[in-house]
Amino acid sequence: MRKGLRWPLWAGALVAIGIIVVGSAAGAPDQRAQNLRVIIASEPPSLDPGTATDTTSSNIIQALNEPLVEFGPAPGLKAVPAAAQSWTVNGPRVTITLRNDLRWTNGQRVTARDYVYSWLRTISPEVASDYAYQFFGIKGAEAYNACKENCAALRSQVGISAPNARTIRVQLTGPQAWFIQQLNHTSFIPVHRATVEKFGDKWTEPGNIVTFGPFRLASWAHDANLVVVKNTRWRKASSVRLNRITFTIITDGATAENAYSAGNADVSETDLPGALVPKWQKNPEYKTFGTIGTYYYGFNTKNIPDVNQRRAMAMAIDRKAIIKHVTLGGQFPAKGFTPNRAPGAKEINKNATMPATAKLAQAKALMAKVRNPKRNISLYFNTSTGHAAIATAVQAFWRELGITTTLKNMEFGQYLQFLGPPPNSDVDVYRLGWIYDYPDAYNGFELWTCDSGNNNTNWCNRKYDAIVKKAAATPNEDARFKLYQQAETILTGPTGQLPIMPIYWYVFHSLAKPYVVGYNVDLTDRTDYTKVSLR
Amino acid sequence: MLKFTIRRILWTIPVILLVILMTFVMMRMIKGNPFRTTERAVPEAIQRNLERKFHLDQPAYKQYLFYVKGVFTLDLGPSLVLRSQTVNDIIKQHFPVSIHLGVMALLFAIVLGIPLGILAALKQNSPLDYASMGIANLGFSIPSFLVATLLIYFFAVKWKDVTGLPTNGWGGPETWVLPVIALGIYPMTYFARLVRGSMLETLQQDYVRTAKAKGLRWRVVVGKHVLRNSLIPAVTATGPLLGYLITGSFIIEYIFGIPGIGKYYVTAVTGRDYSVVMGITVLLSVIIIVANLVVDIVYVYLDPRTRDERT
Repeated sequence: MRKGLRWPLWAGALVAIGIIVVGSAAGAPDQRAQNLRVIIASEPPSLDPGTATDTTSSNIIQALNEPLVEFGPAPGLKAVPAAAQSWTVNGPRVTITLRNDLRWTNGQRVTARDYVYSWLRTISPEVASDYAYQFFGIKGAEAYNACKENCAALRSQVGISAPNARTIRVQLTGPQAWFIQQLNHTSFIPVHRATVEKFGDKWTEPGNIVTFGPFRLASWAHDANLVVVKNTRWRKASSVRLNRITFTIITDGATAENAYSAGNADVSETDLPGALVPKWQKNPEYKTFGTIGTYYYGFNTKNIPDVNQRRAMAMAIDRKAIIKHVTLGGQFPAKGFTPNRAPGAKEINKNATMPATAKLAQAKALMAKVRNPKRNISLYFNTSTGHAAIATAVQAFWRELGITTTLKNMEFGQYLQFLGPPPNSDVDVYRLGWIYDYPDAYNGFELWTCDSGNNNTNWCNRKYDAIVKKAAATPNEDARFKLYQQAETILTGPTGQLPIMPIYWYVFHSLAKPYVVGYNVDLTDRTDYTKVSLR
Repeated sequence: MLKFTIRRILWTIPVILLVILMTFVMMRMIKGNPFRTTERAVPEAIQRNLERKFHLDQPAYKQYLFYVKGVFTLDLGPSLVLRSQTVNDIIKQHFPVSIHLGVMALLFAIVLGIPLGILAALKQNSPLDYASMGIANLGFSIPSFLVATLLIYFFAVKWKDVTGLPTNGWGGPETWVLPVIALGIYPMTYFARLVRGSMLETLQQDYVRTAKAKGLRWRVVVGKHVLRNSLIPAVTATGPLLGYLITGSFIIEYIFGIPGIGKYYVTAVTGRDYSVVMGITVLLSVIIIVANLVVDIVYVYLDPRTRDERT
């Protein structure tokens, strides 16, 4: 080899080795400084409470602000005062009294007028908030949201007012037993009017943003990381141990696991790829958190009209086997549609009959009763190895009943549009999941009402609708849970109609190092970082 | 030369219009609702509000004209999904990162690949040749995402106490090492094989034999005559390769958690973020067109035979 050609190769190699050797050490846990490093799965699309729709954004918005109410201990999850000091409910009239020590990060006081401005902003048609429907229980809100012209008049008729700096008055369309609990949702968090009006869409950028909670936004490198630091102005700042939280965005599950294993993060919330779950399953660092959500298959009741066949198909599935061998996530086999962590679930699901293990003999007997059984079923789901694995298992279970199932999958966005409404006639069975917006079973039952935009089953039962509607207007919990029980019985009871077939109740998973104390993900997939510290 | 260049630049306008049209049509054809990100159905009134806000309630041809106007006034519109950002913001923040990664990977590929190819050609059929081409073929066939994950696992986790390399992110030089290698391996092997083949062919040429017969030193023969002609295919490949590096960096950016434009691009397609998809497509088209133009101009200098045609 000529000298002239040899040395560039060696130089290159030396440079590469040099960089590797000189490279600084990857981050070490910054424990004494109380700086927490969390891996999250995606860039929060919005830190504006008015336009945020996903749990990543909600989690951070909740760290930067304070909700009106928090949830008390399970199983009741009763509303506990947070930014609200107290409230009174008189049928459809709700009066909320704010604390008087709420302060924005710029020193100004948070007043009831901030709430009124913010809520009207979220309901407004211009902001086009996805979660505006959270406010539709308030009188006039839906009309204002749908207005096309002369909106100012409709705006003034919305039932939200602030008679003084500490009082918010709400007029609902009718009594809603869960309204106070619903106030915990991110969309009810107020925004600072002057900041929003000055900076427009950019008001959430660091340097512009004004919040009033336990942490404030220090920096945001889009799609890379966010840093929040302790807000020393917050009323309970002395009880907050963490000084800084760095949220690093790593979407790839394998990389997140590698980063966590290498000690570059203290907590990882990015889902583990299926192949890595067995490795961590027995490890105490792999945390499982309950939530309120159901994974289910919906039937097209026009294509499978005989309820005996639907019940046979629901009975033939071994839910425990699916959880033990396929999902591997420690989920709960679903007895009914209402998840076990929903308040009152035990009573609500009292008559629910979805079996945890397969009841093949019963299922076959039911199938025999069906006059014109549909033996060729098309099962649709959105593309994912997890859904495909579950569908394959279900396909095998249904084969025992003499049913041939064809699995069809498509990309998520197309899938949602394909399902309807109106329900697609090609679909016999479809897979979906539902994570509850607030901890009340109503949020699940209203899906199966005749007018629900989420009902792709062609099932419409007026008696069911009436029960659900009545429950909405029943503030007394015991009375309401009894009505929910009736609704659940119509869905999954011994003579239930089974427009849907629940499979399991969701859980969430995170990885957390043993020196992280107080880390918990609550039933709405949120972490209260004021309770977290590093040992 | 000047006329040639100007003509090529003028041609980019109809090409870009065609690109916008095709992207527009394809995005509409894949259906899906940009505002429905979860299983929750969007209530009708809210869907209408959102469509009105982003002009999606207009007839298709009006939306198309709107986009075209936006492109030529360099206002690529707001993102449908990331509410606090415009497409211009996204490009400004993330495009430099992808360029940085792409250029470094290209340099890695050139600095390692070309000498490897030259060496293999000069020592044809020696163990060195077989070893180099063996490595090249391996690098050519292993998918980049596998290379990336293996690199992270071994160099950033298992042996991290020796190397001190991070598993993810983009910041200081230590974060550049693994992603550049992962992205650069494929072009490196491509160059190596290309240069080797082209050099072997050139070495057979009569003028090389003549130069040797004239008594020129071997180093001069190779350096002055052989190399220049052998590198032409490599130069031609650089244009589209740069395009590959910037667009194909998506997988690497995704795996390493690098805030580049590639990752945004694919996320925008699955999320039906029409304006981001349109904006980035146009941007990438312009880059590829410019890269090809530059390559064509350099080509003219490298290969005098094309001079008369082009000018």
